[in-house]
Amino acid sequence: MATTALRAQVASKWQESFNRLNKNEPGIAGLMRFSQAWEVATEFLRPKDISDPNALKTYNLATIRVAFDVVNQARRLPVMLEVYMDDIRKQQHLITQEVTAHMFRYEQSANPGIVLELVMRLVEWYNAWAPIPELGNTIRDAYTLTFQTHLFSVLPPSFTPGFKALCASTLPPISSDNDALPEANPRMWAAFETLGLFDRYEALIASVVYQHIEAHVLETCAGKWDEPVLPGLRDWMGKKVIKWMFSPYARGAKTTEEATVMLQGPGQRFDFHMSKTLCDLRTKEIFDIVIDYPDSSGALQDLKECLQRVDQRADLVRTLRTANKKRLLHPGADTKDILTQYVSTIRCLRIIDPPGVLLFKVADPIRRYLRERPDTIRSIVASLVGDGESGDSLVDENEPINPLQQPEIEDYTDPNWEPEPIDAGPDFRANKPSDVISTLVSIYDSKDLFVKELQVLLAQRLLAIQDGNFDKERRNIEILKIRFGEAALQVCEVMLKDMTDSRRTDQHVQSQQTFVLHPTIISRQFWPALESSGIVMPGQFETLQKEYAKEFSRFKPDKKLRWLPHLGTVHLEVQLQDREVTADVPPLEAAFIELFSEKNIWTVDDLISRVGSVDRSSALKALATWVDLGVLKEDAENSFRLLEIAEEATPGTRTAAARQAAIDEAPPVAGVQQQQAEQMRVYWKFIEGMLTNLGQLSLDRIQGMLKFAPGYDRTMDQLSSFMEAARMEGLVTIKDGMWKLNR
Amino acid sequence: MKVVVKHWHAVASWRWDTGADQAAGEEDDVCGICRVAYEGCCPSCKMPGDDCPLIWGECTHVFHMHCLLKWIGTAASKQQCPMDRRTWVTAERKVAPPA
Repeated sequence: MATTALRAQVASKWQESFNRLNKNEPGIAGLMRFSQAWEVATEFLRPKDISDPNALKTYNLATIRVAFDVVNQARRLPVMLEVYMDDIRKQQHLITQEVTAHMFRYEQSANPGIVLELVMRLVEWYNAWAPIPELGNTIRDAYTLTFQTHLFSVLPPSFTPGFKALCASTLPPISSDNDALPEANPRMWAAFETLGLFDRYEALIASVVYQHIEAHVLETCAGKWDEPVLPGLRDWMGKKVIKWMFSPYARGAKTTEEATVMLQGPGQRFDFHMSKTLCDLRTKEIFDIVIDYPDSSGALQDLKECLQRVDQRADLVRTLRTANKKRLLHPGADTKDILTQYVSTIRCLRIIDPPGVLLFKVADPIRRYLRERPDTIRSIVASLVGDGESGDSLVDENEPINPLQQPEIEDYTDPNWEPEPIDAGPDFRANKPSDVISTLVSIYDSKDLFVKELQVLLAQRLLAIQDGNFDKERRNIEILKIRFGEAALQVCEVMLKDMTDSRRTDQHVQSQQTFVLHPTIISRQFWPALESSGIVMPGQFETLQKEYAKEFSRFKPDKKLRWLPHLGTVHLEVQLQDREVTADVPPLEAAFIELFSEKNIWTVDDLISRVGSVDRSSALKALATWVDLGVLKEDAENSFRLLEIAEEATPGTRTAAARQAAIDEAPPVAGVQQQQAEQMRVYWKFIEGMLTNLGQLSLDRIQGMLKFAPGYDRTMDQLSSFMEAARMEGLVTIKDGMWKLNR
Repeated sequence: MKVVVKHWHAVASWRWDTGADQAAGEEDDVCGICRVAYEGCCPSCKMPGDDCPLIWGECTHVFHMHCLLKWIGTAASKQQCPMDRRTWVTAERKVAPPA
């Protein structure tokens, strides 16, 4: 029940509203005018279906502006806005239809052009529905928000890949050489901006560029290691990518400076991504890059530069270590190859990382592995003296020859002292850029092993020399003296001197009496243990030896010669009834053929008994040499006959097998390991003595007492394995850790 | 059949003719002063052989010449052979008459 007061209040409100709308116009003329203006304004604002040509009308902008003024003066604008938004919501299904239709076509054809069409169409809708600018930013923002919210809600999932494809299609194709971008479409980017797609899909656009860069790097740089590719890539970035970036990233820039500033952020990101991609690629290729060194120095330069920008050092180390383990450090690889690869690794990583932290981490497993290989030292030494077999030596000829470097102790008083790099491990040793040989030698704790192996190798080579020319060996020794020091190579010096002395002695002896025998006379103490043998040279050989020795004693009255008959070579001619056979043979072969001049048929056992102690296999091998030459024939098992008249070789003899055996000829000089075993035999005498005197002893005691023996340098482990070997032979027994002679 | 040797490159080792004929494979005799084999060289030498010769005493003891001279040079030696304490007299080596 309305009271009077309420009635009065409603009436006054009504009057007030009426006055506001009517503007004190006579009658309801103001009201009429307002309602007309409202009509015009809402009609203008109402979202129309732009695909319906009838709905499109042209408006007189002046009229509309007046109408808006009227509405505004009546302070009905907010109300009108609400109506406008409602209208838009009512019309939104048109947009939805449009999107669905286009995206359906796109899904059918996968043509990014359709997505572009859709975008342009959406912009048309957007523009058609947009309020006039006079209404102010608030309304416009509200409109944009509503439009975009709806739009994003109806975009199907397939729009994202479509949009990505559209962006990608604007980038230049990777493999083409022309610099021109596909026709830039500024309207497209403007459309993206208008629809707010740019902000929404910024990450997507960036990922398109990332992928583009990745594809380009992989395409142009994979396997190209001969020169740095980074400058080329930067150039490419500048020419193509930056140019492209102007549209999306520098939109709205008025001047070049402004554009530069706007491009800086994304540009940096893309440059980083390029470095990272290249770095990843090179990391993946690193093992082969190392193999190809020095032809791959370009790639190493790139990697160095990339690693400064991208922190992937740990990655590189991990990859290279894995690759090494898989491809290098296995029983199938030749020691020489491992060494070559190790040296290349040293050189490569020194380029990438001069302080050597990476190298240290990568080299550690290689070094540990090499230490376990029995022939590592031999290989290193062989390459030190430039073994003729393989052309490429580990050592660079141009590298200055320096003495071996000892690990340096850090000098903290040095004003230029720098701490270790932060990623250096706890046991990192900052070995200053040292030469390759020092690094190789430092695989082992002492250089004595090298010197010993060097002696063995030198002995082999010197004894094999036929023409008396050992300048090369002398030169090698001189070089090695600089490295290892004069004292260490004193023994080698004596060996070389023996060579010259032998020649001089021989010249003197020959001047007294001409011999076909030209011996190399060695100082036994200074040569590695030469395998001893008990061959007695028969017939004219023995005579030759004796006469030469006599002549020698006449020249040097206080010295005697002791022959090492199994060493050396004999150049001889076998005169047979129908032919002559000349051959260069080892002494054993010569001894056998000499015996055949006594009688024509020999059994192997008789031959062996005549030349002294020769093992059967080497005797057979020696005989096989003559069978191969067609001088002997094996008539029956173990019985050989001299062929005074040549015969056709009968097939099926065992010559082939014998020849095979001849290839695996053991070097005449005992290896270091054999020598060690030989030395251990000396110590056995000591051990035998102490066990006899003291009954039983523990390994510790034996080791402790052996330390008093001159030159004893074995470790406990070596002693223990030696004792174990002695136990196998039944010489000693062990009980509760106490060793006892086996009696 | 006849075997004609054209050229023989052989290998031999030299040793001092100390009178004692030792069989192959036997331990090398060492100098009583420096304990290095006769065919080696004394501690002050680097080259063996003629550069570091031996010296024979009338007492039949043999040393590296340098070792013995150094010993004789010290006052404590009293000019005696270090092995038997008899006065050292260097033996005239009778060079084996050419056969």
